[in-house]
Amino acid sequence: MKRGNLLRAVVFFFLIIVISAQAFAESPTESIRETTDKIIAFVADPALNVPDRAGERKRLIRQAVDERFDWVEMARRTLARHWARRTDEERKEFIALFGRLLETTYLDKVDGYSGEEVLYEGESVDEVYGVVKVKIVTKNETEIPVEYRVKKRGDDWFVYDISIEGVSLINNYRTQFNSIIVRSSYENLVKKLRVKVEED
Amino acid sequence: MKKIDLELAVGLFMLAGIVCLGYLTIKLGRMEILGGKGYEIQAVFSNSGGLKVGSSVIIAGVQVGSVRRIVLDDYQARAFVNLPADIKIQEDAIASIKTKGLIGEKYIEITPGGSDKTIEPGGVIRETQPAIDIEELISNFVFGKL
Repeated sequence: MKRGNLLRAVVFFFLIIVISAQAFAESPTESIRETTDKIIAFVADPALNVPDRAGERKRLIRQAVDERFDWVEMARRTLARHWARRTDEERKEFIALFGRLLETTYLDKVDGYSGEEVLYEGESVDEVYGVVKVKIVTKNETEIPVEYRVKKRGDDWFVYDISIEGVSLINNYRTQFNSIIVRSSYENLVKKLRVKVEED
Repeated sequence: MKKIDLELAVGLFMLAGIVCLGYLTIKLGRMEILGGKGYEIQAVFSNSGGLKVGSSVIIAGVQVGSVRRIVLDDYQARAFVNLPADIKIQEDAIASIKTKGLIGEKYIEITPGGSDKTIEPGGVIRETQPAIDIEELISNFVFGKL
């Protein structure tokens, strides 16, 4: 009788461990939702939406994005064949520049946020890769399909590509950067990126 | 004796004609006997935009292979692509469906990736970009303006 109780207790104990472990392993949609909600909170916060605190708001958003984006993976996929030929220092420099490029291109646009809604339309997971389908609904009911491509690292999911209306961000930059490198040189690409990033 | 020679010549001529016809049928129909050379990989697109069997597969503007088969799989288009054995596709390559000109025929373009791992025969290109529906884009633009 006693032994039966002990066995039950042990089984129960392991069951709890298994359940809590599963609760910690987030789904890709949850990861994306967490970051999106965080950013929307910053953007919609009236206290942050004053000229004095524009820099602070930008920093907070960038921080939230950094927590979710796998910049190394993104940079590697963007440079594609040319990545292997870069030294560690060049890679580090490129990752920083690429991050700044996306920041100047897209983060400045968040000022135009006016209550767009984000609908989560499902996800698919294949081993360590996942796709999260999202629909952004603007105020005048235009629907923009967005796909986040995520990769699992540890227990969490990190974005390595975004497709908007079926057009992949990485593919866009990969084609552009490849043609610049092939026509001139990698140094020229870095120079161009620097000019673009320092424009504002 | 002479009559047999003539009949033999006509027979041979006919035979040559049939062989030529067979050759042309296979060549023009892009059929391949013995399965063709190279290997096959797959790519899944949410919209194939009317990609056909025999459509070209292009890398850097050069045709390297062709579409063997397209099937509907879970309401998505799964294309089977044949590539020559000496062309390796990296694991992070992106396959996108493009259009020749504005309304021309569809083809698959592969932008090579930088991964050390390559896709094995029978493997799947994970990163894909569906065909862009210009009509839909225009309507989005038009209604977005309202």
